[in-house]
Amino acid sequence: MTFWPVAFRMSLAGAAAAAMIAPAYADQAAEQFIAGVLEESNAIFGDADASRRNAGVEALVDKYVDMDRVARFALGQYARQATPEQMAVYTPLFRRYATNVYQSTLANYSGQKLAVTGSIDRNERDFIVNSKVVDAKPGDQYANLVVSWRVYRTPEGVQKIVDAGAEGVWLAIEQQSTFKSIIANNGGGAKGIDALIADLKTKVGG
Amino acid sequence: MAMGARLVGLMAAAALSAGGVALAQEETPSPPLEAADELAPPVDAGAEAAPAAAATDPWEGFNRKVFGFNDTVDKGFFVPAAKAYRATTPKAGRRGVRRFLANLGSPSVFINDVLQGNFGRAGKTLSRFAINSTIGAGGFADPAGQIGIESHNEDFGQTLAVWGVGSGPYLVLPLLGPSSPRDAFGALVGIGMQPLTYIRTPPATYARFSLAGANLLSARESALDPLAEIEANSLDYYSSLRSFATQARAREIRNGVDDYDALPDFEE
Repeated sequence: MTFWPVAFRMSLAGAAAAAMIAPAYADQAAEQFIAGVLEESNAIFGDADASRRNAGVEALVDKYVDMDRVARFALGQYARQATPEQMAVYTPLFRRYATNVYQSTLANYSGQKLAVTGSIDRNERDFIVNSKVVDAKPGDQYANLVVSWRVYRTPEGVQKIVDAGAEGVWLAIEQQSTFKSIIANNGGGAKGIDALIADLKTKVGG
Repeated sequence: MAMGARLVGLMAAAALSAGGVALAQEETPSPPLEAADELAPPVDAGAEAAPAAAATDPWEGFNRKVFGFNDTVDKGFFVPAAKAYRATTPKAGRRGVRRFLANLGSPSVFINDVLQGNFGRAGKTLSRFAINSTIGAGGFADPAGQIGIESHNEDFGQTLAVWGVGSGPYLVLPLLGPSSPRDAFGALVGIGMQPLTYIRTPPATYARFSLAGANLLSARESALDPLAEIEANSLDYYSSLRSFATQARAREIRNGVDDYDALPDFEE
Protein backbone atom coordinates (compact mmCIF):
# COMPACT_ATOMS: atom_id res chain seq x y z
CA MET A 1 0.00 0.00 0.00
CA THR A 2 2.92 2.33 -0.51
CA PHE A 3 1.10 4.15 -3.30
CA TRP A 4 -1.18 5.83 -0.77
CA PRO A 5 1.25 8.51 0.35
CA VAL A 6 2.20 9.12 -3.26
CA ALA A 7 -1.41 9.51 -4.26
CA PHE A 8 -1.96 11.85 -1.34
CA ARG A 9 0.96 14.03 -2.32
CA MET A 10 -0.24 14.08 -5.89
CA SER A 11 -3.68 15.24 -4.87
CA LEU A 12 -2.23 17.90 -2.59
CA ALA A 13 -0.09 19.18 -5.42
CA GLY A 14 -3.17 19.31 -7.61
CA ALA A 15 -5.09 21.30 -5.02
CA ALA A 16 -2.20 23.74 -4.59
CA ALA A 17 -1.98 24.27 -8.34
CA ALA A 18 -5.73 24.89 -8.54
CA ALA A 19 -5.50 27.46 -5.74
CA MET A 20 -2.74 29.34 -7.52
CA ILE A 21 -4.57 29.78 -10.79
CA ALA A 22 -7.76 31.03 -9.12
CA PRO A 23 -8.30 34.68 -10.11
CA ALA A 24 -7.99 37.14 -7.28
CA TYR A 25 -9.50 40.37 -8.50
CA ALA A 26 -11.71 41.33 -5.63
CA ASP A 27 -14.20 44.15 -5.48
CA GLN A 28 -14.87 45.30 -1.96
CA ALA A 29 -18.06 47.26 -2.63
CA ALA A 30 -19.77 44.46 -4.57
CA GLU A 31 -18.84 41.95 -1.86
CA GLN A 32 -20.23 44.21 0.86
CA PHE A 33 -23.42 44.69 -1.12
CA ILE A 34 -24.02 40.91 -1.42
CA ALA A 35 -23.01 40.31 2.19
CA GLY A 36 -25.75 42.77 3.19
CA VAL A 37 -28.32 41.06 0.95
CA LEU A 38 -27.41 37.64 2.38
CA GLU A 39 -27.67 38.99 5.91
CA GLU A 40 -31.15 40.34 5.19
CA SER A 41 -32.15 37.09 3.45
CA ASN A 42 -31.25 34.96 6.43
CA ALA A 43 -33.99 36.54 8.51
CA ILE A 44 -36.59 35.93 5.80
CA PHE A 45 -35.57 32.33 5.21
CA GLY A 46 -35.82 31.61 8.90
CA ASP A 47 -39.58 32.12 8.56
CA ALA A 48 -41.42 28.80 8.45
CA ASP A 49 -44.61 30.31 7.00
CA ALA A 50 -44.57 29.84 3.22
CA SER A 51 -46.70 32.86 2.27
CA ARG A 52 -44.75 35.23 4.50
CA ARG A 53 -41.52 33.83 3.09
CA ASN A 54 -42.73 34.32 -0.49
CA ALA A 55 -43.70 37.89 0.32
CA GLY A 56 -40.25 38.37 1.85
CA VAL A 57 -38.51 36.99 -1.24
CA GLU A 58 -40.57 39.26 -3.46
CA ALA A 59 -39.63 42.29 -1.36
CA LEU A 60 -35.96 41.30 -1.56
CA VAL A 61 -36.17 40.81 -5.31
CA ASP A 62 -37.86 44.18 -5.79
CA LYS A 63 -35.27 45.88 -3.65
CA TYR A 64 -32.09 44.25 -4.92
CA VAL A 65 -32.66 42.82 -8.42
CA ASP A 66 -32.50 45.14 -11.43
CA MET A 67 -35.52 43.61 -13.16
CA ASP A 68 -35.61 46.04 -16.10
CA ARG A 69 -32.05 45.16 -17.00
CA VAL A 70 -32.61 41.41 -16.59
CA ALA A 71 -35.80 41.63 -18.64
CA ARG A 72 -33.90 43.23 -21.54
CA PHE A 73 -31.07 40.74 -21.18
CA ALA A 74 -33.50 37.81 -21.38
CA LEU A 75 -34.57 38.98 -24.84
CA GLY A 76 -31.02 38.75 -26.18
CA GLN A 77 -30.58 40.47 -29.53
CA TYR A 78 -34.39 40.77 -29.83
CA ALA A 79 -34.40 43.51 -27.17
CA ARG A 80 -33.40 45.91 -29.95
CA GLN A 81 -36.39 44.87 -32.05
CA ALA A 82 -39.06 45.14 -29.37
CA THR A 83 -41.35 48.16 -29.66
CA PRO A 84 -41.84 50.45 -26.63
CA GLU A 85 -45.43 49.13 -26.46
CA GLN A 86 -44.18 45.54 -26.34
CA MET A 87 -41.64 46.40 -23.66
CA ALA A 88 -44.36 48.07 -21.59
CA VAL A 89 -46.33 44.80 -21.57
CA TYR A 90 -43.36 42.46 -21.42
CA THR A 91 -41.35 44.00 -18.57
CA PRO A 92 -43.99 43.68 -15.79
CA LEU A 93 -44.81 40.15 -16.99
CA PHE A 94 -41.13 39.25 -16.84
CA ARG A 95 -40.85 40.70 -13.35
CA ARG A 96 -43.73 38.52 -12.19
CA TYR A 97 -42.29 35.45 -13.91
CA ALA A 98 -38.74 35.92 -12.60
CA THR A 99 -40.02 36.59 -9.10
CA ASN A 100 -41.98 33.32 -9.23
CA VAL A 101 -38.82 31.51 -10.30
CA TYR A 102 -36.87 33.00 -7.37
CA GLN A 103 -39.66 32.08 -4.98
CA SER A 104 -39.92 28.50 -6.13
CA THR A 105 -36.14 28.09 -6.28
CA LEU A 106 -35.88 29.30 -2.69
CA ALA A 107 -38.99 27.46 -1.48
CA ASN A 108 -37.16 24.54 0.10
CA TYR A 109 -34.50 26.65 1.73
CA SER A 110 -33.55 24.72 4.79
CA GLY A 111 -31.75 27.31 6.84
CA GLN A 112 -28.05 26.99 5.99
CA LYS A 113 -26.42 30.39 5.89
CA LEU A 114 -24.41 31.69 2.97
CA ALA A 115 -21.32 33.83 3.39
CA VAL A 116 -19.36 35.76 0.75
CA THR A 117 -16.11 34.05 -0.22
CA GLY A 118 -14.75 36.36 -2.90
CA SER A 119 -15.42 38.27 -6.08
CA ILE A 120 -14.24 38.73 -9.63
CA ASP A 121 -14.61 41.88 -11.70
CA ARG A 122 -15.45 41.27 -15.34
CA ASN A 123 -15.20 45.01 -15.92
CA GLU A 124 -15.84 48.21 -13.98
CA ARG A 125 -19.63 47.63 -14.03
CA ASP A 126 -19.96 43.89 -13.88
CA PHE A 127 -18.99 41.70 -10.91
CA ILE A 128 -19.40 38.12 -9.81
CA VAL A 129 -19.63 37.64 -6.04
CA ASN A 130 -19.31 34.05 -4.83
CA SER A 131 -20.77 32.66 -1.64
CA LYS A 132 -20.59 29.36 0.18
CA VAL A 133 -22.48 27.61 2.94
CA VAL A 134 -21.14 28.52 6.36
CA ASP A 135 -20.17 25.65 8.68
CA ALA A 136 -20.46 22.91 6.06
CA LYS A 137 -18.36 19.91 7.04
CA PRO A 138 -15.99 18.39 4.49
CA GLY A 139 -17.84 15.69 2.60
CA ASP A 140 -21.18 17.38 3.26
CA GLN A 141 -23.24 17.68 0.09
CA TYR A 142 -23.08 21.48 0.28
CA ALA A 143 -19.45 21.68 1.38
CA ASN A 144 -18.16 22.78 -2.01
CA LEU A 145 -21.29 24.36 -3.38
CA VAL A 146 -20.62 27.81 -4.76
CA VAL A 147 -23.62 30.10 -5.15
CA SER A 148 -22.78 33.08 -7.33
CA TRP A 149 -24.35 36.49 -7.67
CA ARG A 150 -23.88 38.75 -10.64
CA VAL A 151 -23.81 42.41 -9.64
CA TYR A 152 -24.20 45.30 -12.06
CA ARG A 153 -23.04 48.74 -10.99
CA THR A 154 -24.45 51.76 -12.81
CA PRO A 155 -22.28 54.78 -13.67
CA GLU A 156 -23.96 56.46 -10.68
CA GLY A 157 -22.62 53.70 -8.46
CA VAL A 158 -25.94 51.95 -7.76
CA GLN A 159 -25.44 48.21 -7.35
CA LYS A 160 -28.11 45.64 -8.20
CA ILE A 161 -28.22 41.87 -8.72
CA VAL A 162 -28.75 40.81 -12.33
CA ASP A 163 -28.25 37.04 -12.16
CA ALA A 164 -27.88 34.16 -9.73
CA GLY A 165 -26.29 30.80 -10.28
CA ALA A 166 -24.84 27.74 -8.64
CA GLU A 167 -21.80 25.85 -9.81
CA GLY A 168 -21.55 27.93 -12.95
CA VAL A 169 -25.16 27.40 -14.05
CA TRP A 170 -26.98 30.73 -14.35
CA LEU A 171 -30.71 31.47 -14.26
CA ALA A 172 -30.89 34.57 -16.49
CA ILE A 173 -28.69 32.89 -19.10
CA GLU A 174 -31.17 30.01 -19.22
CA GLN A 175 -34.04 32.50 -19.50
CA GLN A 176 -32.32 34.25 -22.40
CA SER A 177 -31.71 30.96 -24.18
CA THR A 178 -35.31 29.84 -23.75
CA PHE A 179 -36.84 33.19 -24.68
CA LYS A 180 -34.74 33.46 -27.82
CA SER A 181 -35.84 29.96 -28.85
CA ILE A 182 -39.50 30.85 -28.35
CA ILE A 183 -39.14 34.08 -30.33
CA ALA A 184 -37.21 32.40 -33.16
CA ASN A 185 -39.65 29.47 -33.33
CA ASN A 186 -42.55 31.87 -33.69
CA GLY A 187 -41.29 33.82 -36.65
CA GLY A 188 -38.74 36.04 -34.90
CA GLY A 189 -38.92 39.82 -34.57
CA ALA A 190 -42.10 41.54 -33.39
CA LYS A 191 -44.26 38.49 -34.11
CA GLY A 192 -42.01 36.23 -32.05
CA ILE A 193 -41.95 38.71 -29.18
CA ASP A 194 -45.76 38.76 -29.16
CA ALA A 195 -45.73 34.96 -28.91
CA LEU A 196 -43.31 35.14 -25.98
CA ILE A 197 -45.54 37.71 -24.26
CA ALA A 198 -48.53 35.38 -24.73
CA ASP A 199 -46.57 32.48 -23.20
CA LEU A 200 -45.51 34.61 -20.25
CA LYS A 201 -49.10 35.68 -19.67
CA THR A 202 -50.23 32.06 -19.58
CA LYS A 203 -47.40 31.14 -17.22
CA VAL A 204 -48.00 33.86 -14.64
CA GLY A 205 -51.76 33.69 -15.08
CA GLY A 206 -51.99 37.37 -16.09
CA MET B 1 -29.85 26.55 1.23
CA ALA B 2 -32.30 25.37 -1.24
CA MET B 3 -31.25 27.73 -3.95
CA GLY B 4 -27.91 26.08 -4.31
CA ALA B 5 -29.34 22.69 -3.64
CA ARG B 6 -31.85 23.14 -6.40
CA LEU B 7 -29.33 24.45 -8.83
CA VAL B 8 -26.90 21.70 -8.06
CA GLY B 9 -29.85 19.46 -8.62
CA LEU B 10 -30.21 20.98 -12.03
CA MET B 11 -26.80 19.75 -12.88
CA ALA B 12 -27.57 16.35 -11.47
CA ALA B 13 -30.69 16.53 -13.54
CA ALA B 14 -28.76 17.28 -16.62
CA ALA B 15 -26.30 14.53 -15.89
CA LEU B 16 -29.14 12.19 -15.14
CA SER B 17 -31.18 12.82 -18.18
CA ALA B 18 -28.06 11.81 -19.96
CA GLY B 19 -28.16 8.63 -17.95
CA GLY B 20 -24.55 9.11 -17.11
CA VAL B 21 -23.70 10.00 -20.65
CA ALA B 22 -23.06 13.57 -21.35
CA LEU B 23 -24.91 16.60 -22.26
CA ALA B 24 -23.79 19.56 -24.02
CA GLN B 25 -22.38 20.92 -27.03
CA GLU B 26 -19.81 23.47 -26.13
CA GLU B 27 -16.18 23.17 -26.99
CA THR B 28 -14.07 23.56 -23.92
CA PRO B 29 -12.70 27.04 -23.96
CA SER B 30 -15.24 28.73 -26.15
CA PRO B 31 -18.02 30.83 -24.62
CA PRO B 32 -21.54 29.51 -24.25
CA LEU B 33 -23.54 29.89 -27.42
CA GLU B 34 -25.80 32.35 -25.70
CA ALA B 35 -22.77 34.51 -25.24
CA ALA B 36 -21.84 34.22 -28.84
CA ASP B 37 -25.01 35.63 -30.23
CA GLU B 38 -25.37 38.19 -27.51
CA LEU B 39 -22.06 39.64 -28.62
CA ALA B 40 -22.97 39.51 -32.28
CA PRO B 41 -23.70 42.86 -33.87
CA PRO B 42 -27.35 43.78 -34.29
CA VAL B 43 -28.81 42.47 -37.50
CA ASP B 44 -31.91 43.22 -39.45
CA ALA B 45 -35.14 41.99 -37.89
CA GLY B 46 -36.56 38.86 -39.39
CA ALA B 47 -33.49 38.15 -41.43
CA GLU B 48 -31.62 37.10 -38.35
CA ALA B 49 -34.15 35.10 -36.41
CA ALA B 50 -33.75 31.81 -38.21
CA PRO B 51 -29.94 31.81 -38.44
CA ALA B 52 -29.63 32.68 -34.74
CA ALA B 53 -31.77 29.72 -33.78
CA ALA B 54 -30.03 27.43 -36.23
CA ALA B 55 -26.63 28.32 -34.81
CA THR B 56 -27.72 27.32 -31.33
CA ASP B 57 -29.43 24.07 -32.24
CA PRO B 58 -29.38 23.13 -35.94
CA TRP B 59 -30.96 19.73 -35.24
CA GLU B 60 -33.77 21.20 -33.16
CA GLY B 61 -36.58 19.53 -35.13
CA PHE B 62 -35.10 16.06 -34.72
CA ASN B 63 -34.04 16.77 -31.13
CA ARG B 64 -37.53 17.85 -30.12
CA LYS B 65 -39.01 14.63 -31.50
CA VAL B 66 -36.56 12.51 -29.53
CA PHE B 67 -37.10 14.72 -26.49
CA GLY B 68 -40.86 14.12 -26.74
CA PHE B 69 -40.30 10.38 -26.91
CA ASN B 70 -37.90 10.49 -23.94
CA ASP B 71 -40.34 12.57 -21.94
CA THR B 72 -43.11 10.04 -22.54
CA VAL B 73 -40.91 7.14 -21.46
CA ASP B 74 -39.64 9.18 -18.51
CA LYS B 75 -43.12 9.99 -17.18
CA GLY B 76 -44.53 6.57 -17.96
CA PHE B 77 -41.68 4.53 -16.56
CA PHE B 78 -38.61 6.22 -15.03
CA VAL B 79 -40.46 8.75 -12.85
CA PRO B 80 -42.79 6.14 -11.29
CA ALA B 81 -39.84 3.78 -10.79
CA ALA B 82 -37.75 6.52 -9.17
CA LYS B 83 -40.66 7.52 -6.92
CA ALA B 84 -41.15 3.91 -5.86
CA TYR B 85 -37.43 3.67 -5.12
CA ARG B 86 -37.65 6.84 -3.01
CA ALA B 87 -40.75 5.64 -1.17
CA THR B 88 -39.26 2.28 -0.20
CA THR B 89 -35.73 3.23 0.82
CA PRO B 90 -34.25 5.51 3.53
CA LYS B 91 -32.44 8.67 2.47
CA ALA B 92 -29.11 7.59 3.97
CA GLY B 93 -29.38 4.30 2.14
CA ARG B 94 -29.87 6.04 -1.20
CA ARG B 95 -26.89 8.26 -0.51
CA GLY B 96 -24.84 5.13 0.19
CA VAL B 97 -25.98 3.64 -3.09
CA ARG B 98 -25.00 6.81 -4.97
CA ARG B 99 -21.54 6.65 -3.38
CA PHE B 100 -21.21 2.94 -4.08
CA LEU B 101 -22.07 3.42 -7.74
CA ALA B 102 -19.73 6.41 -8.02
CA ASN B 103 -16.95 4.38 -6.46
CA LEU B 104 -17.45 1.63 -9.03
CA GLY B 105 -17.10 4.30 -11.71
CA SER B 106 -13.68 5.31 -10.36
CA PRO B 107 -11.58 3.18 -12.73
CA SER B 108 -13.10 4.97 -15.71
CA VAL B 109 -12.67 8.37 -14.04
CA PHE B 110 -9.04 7.48 -13.29
CA ILE B 111 -8.33 6.46 -16.90
CA ASN B 112 -9.78 9.76 -18.14
CA ASP B 113 -7.86 11.81 -15.53
CA VAL B 114 -4.67 10.22 -16.86
CA LEU B 115 -5.67 10.61 -20.52
CA GLN B 116 -6.20 14.31 -19.83
CA GLY B 117 -2.73 14.51 -18.32
CA ASN B 118 -4.23 15.55 -15.00
CA PHE B 119 -2.15 13.51 -12.59
CA GLY B 120 -3.20 15.49 -9.55
CA ARG B 121 -6.81 14.54 -10.13
CA ALA B 122 -5.81 11.00 -11.06
CA GLY B 123 -4.09 10.75 -7.67
CA LYS B 124 -7.25 11.97 -5.96
CA THR B 125 -9.36 9.42 -7.79
CA LEU B 126 -6.94 6.65 -6.88
CA SER B 127 -6.79 7.73 -3.23
CA ARG B 128 -10.56 7.90 -3.01
CA PHE B 129 -10.97 4.48 -4.58
CA ALA B 130 -8.43 2.92 -2.22
CA ILE B 131 -9.82 4.57 0.91
CA ASN B 132 -13.52 4.22 0.20
CA SER B 133 -13.32 0.64 -1.10
CA THR B 134 -11.65 -0.45 2.15
CA ILE B 135 -12.51 1.57 5.23
CA GLY B 136 -15.46 3.10 3.35
CA ALA B 137 -17.38 -0.18 3.51
CA GLY B 138 -16.88 -1.03 -0.15
CA GLY B 139 -17.78 2.48 -1.26
CA PHE B 140 -21.04 3.01 0.61
CA ALA B 141 -19.38 5.54 2.91
CA ASP B 142 -17.13 8.42 1.93
CA PRO B 143 -14.28 8.73 4.46
CA ALA B 144 -12.07 10.15 1.70
CA GLY B 145 -14.46 13.08 1.24
CA GLN B 146 -14.46 13.67 5.00
CA ILE B 147 -10.73 14.21 5.01
CA GLY B 148 -11.05 16.60 2.09
CA ILE B 149 -10.37 14.43 -0.96
CA GLU B 150 -13.43 15.43 -2.90
CA SER B 151 -14.99 13.42 -5.68
CA HIS B 152 -15.10 14.56 -9.27
CA ASN B 153 -16.35 13.15 -12.51
CA GLU B 154 -14.68 12.47 -15.82
CA ASP B 155 -15.74 10.64 -18.93
CA PHE B 156 -14.28 10.11 -22.38
CA GLY B 157 -16.40 12.88 -23.88
CA GLN B 158 -14.65 15.31 -21.53
CA THR B 159 -11.29 13.83 -22.43
CA LEU B 160 -12.02 14.39 -26.12
CA ALA B 161 -12.98 17.98 -25.29
CA VAL B 162 -9.69 18.51 -23.45
CA TRP B 163 -7.91 17.07 -26.48
CA GLY B 164 -9.55 19.77 -28.56
CA VAL B 165 -12.37 17.82 -30.20
CA GLY B 166 -15.37 20.06 -30.79
CA SER B 167 -18.70 18.85 -29.46
CA GLY B 168 -20.68 19.28 -32.67
CA PRO B 169 -24.30 20.40 -32.43
CA TYR B 170 -26.59 19.79 -29.49
CA LEU B 171 -28.00 16.28 -29.80
CA VAL B 172 -30.73 14.58 -27.80
CA LEU B 173 -30.19 10.83 -27.67
CA PRO B 174 -33.07 8.38 -27.31
CA LEU B 175 -33.39 7.38 -23.63
CA LEU B 176 -30.02 8.95 -22.78
CA GLY B 177 -31.03 12.58 -23.23
CA PRO B 178 -28.95 15.76 -23.79
CA SER B 179 -25.65 15.06 -25.51
CA SER B 180 -23.59 15.84 -28.60
CA PRO B 181 -21.96 13.74 -31.31
CA ARG B 182 -18.66 13.94 -29.44
CA ASP B 183 -20.16 12.96 -26.10
CA ALA B 184 -22.23 10.18 -27.63
CA PHE B 185 -19.05 8.72 -29.07
CA GLY B 186 -17.36 9.28 -25.70
CA ALA B 187 -20.12 7.32 -23.99
CA LEU B 188 -19.58 4.38 -26.33
CA VAL B 189 -15.85 4.36 -25.63
CA GLY B 190 -16.71 4.72 -21.94
CA ILE B 191 -18.33 1.29 -21.97
CA GLY B 192 -14.93 -0.10 -22.82
CA MET B 193 -13.43 1.66 -19.79
CA GLN B 194 -15.54 -0.31 -17.34
CA PRO B 195 -13.69 -3.36 -16.04
CA LEU B 196 -16.87 -5.46 -15.98
CA THR B 197 -17.09 -5.17 -19.76
CA TYR B 198 -14.20 -7.61 -20.05
CA ILE B 199 -15.50 -10.31 -17.76
CA ARG B 200 -17.54 -12.56 -20.00
CA THR B 201 -19.40 -14.79 -17.57
CA PRO B 202 -23.15 -14.92 -16.93
CA PRO B 203 -22.80 -13.44 -13.40
CA ALA B 204 -20.74 -10.56 -14.81
CA THR B 205 -23.33 -9.92 -17.50
CA TYR B 206 -26.02 -9.92 -14.86
CA ALA B 207 -23.98 -7.51 -12.73
CA ARG B 208 -23.40 -5.24 -15.73
CA PHE B 209 -27.07 -4.88 -16.50
CA SER B 210 -28.01 -4.53 -12.83
CA LEU B 211 -25.45 -1.77 -12.45
CA ALA B 212 -26.70 0.07 -15.51
CA GLY B 213 -30.23 -0.13 -14.14
CA ALA B 214 -29.14 0.95 -10.67
CA ASN B 215 -27.24 3.91 -12.10
CA LEU B 216 -30.29 5.06 -14.04
CA LEU B 217 -32.65 4.65 -11.11
CA SER B 218 -30.33 6.30 -8.61
CA ALA B 219 -29.65 9.24 -10.92
CA ARG B 220 -33.32 9.69 -11.78
CA GLU B 221 -34.28 9.65 -8.11
CA SER B 222 -31.87 12.46 -7.21
CA ALA B 223 -33.15 14.48 -10.16
CA LEU B 224 -36.88 14.05 -9.38
CA ASP B 225 -37.36 17.42 -7.65
CA PRO B 226 -35.02 19.57 -9.74
CA LEU B 227 -36.40 18.32 -13.05
CA ALA B 228 -39.99 18.73 -11.90
CA GLU B 229 -39.14 22.25 -10.84
CA ILE B 230 -37.42 23.13 -14.10
CA GLU B 231 -40.45 21.91 -16.00
CA ALA B 232 -42.87 23.80 -13.74
CA ASN B 233 -40.94 27.07 -14.06
CA SER B 234 -40.12 26.83 -17.73
CA LEU B 235 -41.85 28.42 -20.67
CA ASP B 236 -40.30 25.74 -22.87
CA TYR B 237 -38.98 22.65 -21.07
CA TYR B 238 -36.91 21.57 -24.06
CA SER B 239 -35.03 24.89 -24.32
CA SER B 240 -34.54 25.23 -20.57
CA LEU B 241 -33.01 21.78 -20.27
CA ARG B 242 -30.81 22.47 -23.27
CA SER B 243 -29.41 25.60 -21.64
CA PHE B 244 -28.91 24.08 -18.18
CA ALA B 245 -27.35 20.93 -19.64
CA THR B 246 -25.04 22.94 -21.90
CA GLN B 247 -23.91 25.28 -19.12
CA ALA B 248 -23.32 22.44 -16.68
CA ARG B 249 -21.44 20.35 -19.21
CA ALA B 250 -19.17 23.23 -20.23
CA ARG B 251 -18.17 23.74 -16.61
CA GLU B 252 -17.73 20.03 -16.01
CA ILE B 253 -15.27 19.92 -18.92
CA ARG B 254 -13.37 22.83 -17.36
CA ASN B 255 -13.14 20.72 -14.17
CA GLY B 256 -15.32 23.13 -12.25
CA VAL B 257 -13.29 26.23 -13.04
CA ASP B 258 -15.52 29.13 -13.98
CA ASP B 259 -14.95 30.95 -17.23
CA TYR B 260 -16.29 34.36 -16.27
CA ASP B 261 -15.04 36.03 -19.44
CA ALA B 262 -17.30 33.80 -21.51
CA LEU B 263 -20.49 34.99 -19.81
CA PRO B 264 -22.78 37.10 -21.98
CA ASP B 265 -22.71 40.81 -21.18
CA PHE B 266 -25.49 42.89 -19.69
CA GLU B 267 -26.21 46.09 -21.53
CA GLU B 268 -25.32 49.48 -20.12
